[in-house]
Amino acid sequence: MRIPFVGPGAEPSAGSVTGSGRRTRRTRSTALAVVTVLSLAPIAACGGSGGSSGNGKTLEMWTFKQSHVAGLRNAAAAFKKQTGITVKITAYGPDDAYTTKVQAAAKTHDLPDVLEVHSDGEDLALGSTGIAKDISQDVDSSWNGLYQKGVQASGTVTPEMYKESLPADSKDHGVKKGQRFSVPFTSGTFGIVMGNKKVLAAAGITKPPATYEEWLADLKATTAKNPTTGGVSLGLKVKATGMTWTMQPLAFSLLGKDKYHALFGQNASEDFSSADGQKVLSEYAKLQPYWMPGTQILDIDTADQAFAQGKSAWDIGGTFTLAFLQQNGMNPDDVMAFGIPGPAGGAVPKPALGPLALTGLTVTSTSSHSANAEKWMKFLSQPSIASKFAKDATEVPATELGADAAQVMGPTLADMTRTFVGTPENTYDPSDSSFRPPGYDQDSMSEILADLTPLHQKSVAATGKAMAKLNNSFWKLAK
Amino acid sequence: MTTAPRPALSAETAAPGGGPRDPRPGAGPAARAARLRPRRRGYEAVSGWLFVAPAVVLFAVMGLYTVGYGFLLSFAQWNGFAAHWTWVGIQNYKDLLWADPRYAPRVQHAALHTLYVMLAVPALTVLVSFPLAVLLNSARRMQTLLRSVYFVPYVTSGIAVFFAWQYILQPDGAINTLLKSVGMGSLSQPQGWLGNPHTALPTMIVVTVWGAVPVAMLMYLTGLQSIDRSVLEAAQLDGAGWWRTNFSVVWPLVRPITAIVVLLNLRDSLQGFQTFLVMTNGGPGDHTNVLGLEAYRLAFLMDLDPTLGLASALGWLLFAAALVIALINLRVLRSRT
Repeated sequence: MRIPFVGPGAEPSAGSVTGSGRRTRRTRSTALAVVTVLSLAPIAACGGSGGSSGNGKTLEMWTFKQSHVAGLRNAAAAFKKQTGITVKITAYGPDDAYTTKVQAAAKTHDLPDVLEVHSDGEDLALGSTGIAKDISQDVDSSWNGLYQKGVQASGTVTPEMYKESLPADSKDHGVKKGQRFSVPFTSGTFGIVMGNKKVLAAAGITKPPATYEEWLADLKATTAKNPTTGGVSLGLKVKATGMTWTMQPLAFSLLGKDKYHALFGQNASEDFSSADGQKVLSEYAKLQPYWMPGTQILDIDTADQAFAQGKSAWDIGGTFTLAFLQQNGMNPDDVMAFGIPGPAGGAVPKPALGPLALTGLTVTSTSSHSANAEKWMKFLSQPSIASKFAKDATEVPATELGADAAQVMGPTLADMTRTFVGTPENTYDPSDSSFRPPGYDQDSMSEILADLTPLHQKSVAATGKAMAKLNNSFWKLAK
Repeated sequence: MTTAPRPALSAETAAPGGGPRDPRPGAGPAARAARLRPRRRGYEAVSGWLFVAPAVVLFAVMGLYTVGYGFLLSFAQWNGFAAHWTWVGIQNYKDLLWADPRYAPRVQHAALHTLYVMLAVPALTVLVSFPLAVLLNSARRMQTLLRSVYFVPYVTSGIAVFFAWQYILQPDGAINTLLKSVGMGSLSQPQGWLGNPHTALPTMIVVTVWGAVPVAMLMYLTGLQSIDRSVLEAAQLDGAGWWRTNFSVVWPLVRPITAIVVLLNLRDSLQGFQTFLVMTNGGPGDHTNVLGLEAYRLAFLMDLDPTLGLASALGWLLFAAALVIALINLRVLRSRT
């Protein structure tokens, strides 16, 4: 390549503007223009498109639940008929990818109008960073009264949540008491065991176990019948599932509420290294022979898929799992569902699993149609729409459906919701974290627990000691 | 593009006809050319700057700005969205190295795993790729085909291949099935090769080596083909056999290539994490967590926790380690070549 402004011999004399001279100058100007545009391109690329789409007649909503898409689209069709407003539903998954997508969109000002979020965690974090709009003034009692009593405060900065947000390294740091960043959409709980009725029947199991010991006996029967496919799957690649979905409900029913809380306290005679802690870990370790081979390297979805594909006879999940199983070709009627049963000699032999809001709906602060977005969210909370969604998505809606709930949700989902019923004393509340040290990191605790089972790397005593040590260091750090 | 210096534009050479025709000052072509000279130089300068501007802007934005930004961030607490950074000084570095029980033990475990990977991957890559290159170099038939076959892992490396490896390594995957079918079932892994904490990291090392061998082999092959044949013939005339020739003549001659292969693989082992992210996400437990993966987790997988500063600090610690390794390697290269 030769640059156009070479030696004087090749240049026409100044003043005599020839045709080729004009061409050269034009070429140069064009080249300069192109180069200028190119040089500005990276800067221009840093800008965003700004704000959400449409003219107010079109809303955009993102969800991380593929299983919610069909139900939401059906609801959107009804919403359009009623209001003339179109809602475009898009799913991004899995959860990590969704979180990254939302964060990236927030940076480039490409957020949709409405986001489905994990309740009482992600919504507050989005609120503290200014991504989610504070809707506390807009959600009045007539709207909030549509939800089940236990989840009506979901998305709100309660005094307890405000206290947790005060440390500078809290993800919710900056929220104010009384602000609200989401309304509940689906509810449910973790620690639900699902069994494949056909496989169970082949092993002589026809009814849910009444105690933890009975469940272990059932597990023994199914693994004896099918050593490789008779076990229990759980997405342990997501580190906290073993701890929060299995060990904690078990610990609650074995020790009762106060002693369970004390496991996470500062008293060495009551923490995981204590006799109580050892008892809990010993019970949990009894699952060791019954894990599905390789469950420790499966994430939640792949573990559920393994169950749906018949690679395991049992699966531990939550009320939300049924929708995913159905999506993967399993008939909900083929599933036997029950909450993790308590040990016979435990303090709470028949524990209830407290429901909590699982997902919520958030209006983004960049939405230029927030009034319509809230109209859509309120529309979804209407009992008739929520019932239809529950059927379409096989989910427990946050809306109070009244006496018809069991009929609307089908027998398996209704079985799951039966685990919600209990008294304050016998109900395990997965959303209560008031007894844990500030800065508590469940992933680090779960990694230690994984070494007990299914990895079988540490003894009960060593696991208890390591968990107590880490828990104490959280307390020390908080001082 | 020519880069030869242009001759200075003089009045004589610039004027057509070789000399000034108009005696009036400032009226002749030479004077006009002299007047236009600064303007043209200005154009040239502007054009030149605009031509290099895209590269300069890209370097400034993607290089200087991000490096400086990242360095400052390593002294702050921020989640990527809050309006303000909270300056914490060197606390992030202290938290990562010893002070915070949420991060320090994880970083220490990850550092140990990274060290294993850094020792094993370069060594195994050299051990596999050098003999492979020697064999390929001596192949008389189908050399091109074989070279392409051995290069396949490099051109196909990516997410899909890592997923394929995952399936192969599962409890009911191809490796266990193969072992059982040849009567070596006792060697199979009932929990899968990635599910057993004792085999997970070695398996990840093997997969990493599998991806690293093609480039190393190609580099060795280039080195082998540039060796003067007379040197090898002289060794053979002196009675050296195939082993002796390769061990005592060829191996020392390709030592600079070995140094490069080792350096590249050390760097990849220190900073690379994609394979680990896709295949194990640090599990089972944290038995395959490596420093690059931990930095990624702190940056992007903490659900808006203000840990971007910690991720940045870990990145700078990795940079420091890489710098030390590069300097050691440079020293070794200088003393041996």
